[in-house]
Amino acid sequence: MQAQLILDELKKNGVTHAVGLPDNSSAKLFDLLASDPGIRLISVTREGEAFAIAAGLWIGGGAPVVLIQNTGFLESGDAFRGTITRMGVPLVCLITYRGYRKLAEDPAARVLSPSNLTRAPLDSAALVTEPTLKAWGLPYDFLHAAEDVPRISEAFRKCAECGHAHAVLITPDLI
Amino acid sequence: MLSKDELLGPLAMHRGDAVVVTCMGVTRPWGKYATGTLDFASADSAMGHTADLALGIALACPWRKVICLNGDGSMLMSLGTLVTVAQTGAANYVLFIIQNDTYEITGNQPLPGAGNLDFAGMARGAGVKRVYSFDDANSYAVQLPLVLAADGPVVVVAKVAPGCEGPISRSEREPSEYLKVSLAEWGRRMRRALCGGL
Repeated sequence: MQAQLILDELKKNGVTHAVGLPDNSSAKLFDLLASDPGIRLISVTREGEAFAIAAGLWIGGGAPVVLIQNTGFLESGDAFRGTITRMGVPLVCLITYRGYRKLAEDPAARVLSPSNLTRAPLDSAALVTEPTLKAWGLPYDFLHAAEDVPRISEAFRKCAECGHAHAVLITPDLI
Repeated sequence: MLSKDELLGPLAMHRGDAVVVTCMGVTRPWGKYATGTLDFASADSAMGHTADLALGIALACPWRKVICLNGDGSMLMSLGTLVTVAQTGAANYVLFIIQNDTYEITGNQPLPGAGNLDFAGMARGAGVKRVYSFDDANSYAVQLPLVLAADGPVVVVAKVAPGCEGPISRSEREPSEYLKVSLAEWGRRMRRALCGGL
């Protein structure tokens, strides 16, 4: 899927800052953001930083998005809870979904059993991503293909309406 | 070594219209000096991420000075922030690292590495160009106006005597105005103050 489509959708929604950390799936989008004067890219050293910085940007009047991998989302638990959730920041979180494909091919693998969590072909980051999102109270939609890109705008609309964060899970690699 | 009042009194005098973000052991003491909605207590918030939160405010409001009063234990929880601060080049950002070498809120247990921690060296190593260290109240009071006027990002390491602040809540019982309401409510108030009702 074209990273440019996502960048264009972010611009349509008035995003001022993209805060995050690249992974293999999102690398192209980071490249585009780094060379785009319309949205300031803020690279962080760990994903928890991204949520706290985004909360500060929102308090200061900015319109940030966070762009991280699901592994980084798992790392950032208390930062997410203590800033975005606790402060009621209407933040759109773009989260690339490492391990989604294998999970989608094998619905039985979604069971959080010790055997699945240790099974080599399965990615345990993928297994715990959606249960964690639910546990942390972060609603989400999927972005599987180009025709799903408008779901990003939909996420902004939901954030504005509810005054809470919303995640968009990006399953394909961006090119 | 400075007392908290020796640290905060001059800062209150010279802050002008700067945003001041506090956490942990200086949250209540700063409440005595806080003047309104431009003071933000990062209490009931995310552990170790006050400097990040304040950096976000600084990046959104480059025309306004943002001062973060971070604890040394909090700084240790997110040392990578020093690198992020340096690479953003936020000229309006001043990060105080208030070093007493203890976790004051939980009873002054020593920090890992207490007695050997060189936060100024860490900040320089992370790429911060303007780094100041103070362990004397007089030189701090004299130099503070210049420190606050410098192009940032600025890191100030202030050696402060351990205190006896206990756990901080957000409730009507707290003496400081900025602790009486929820984090979400105060965040919305500050956002309105900074950007006129967005």
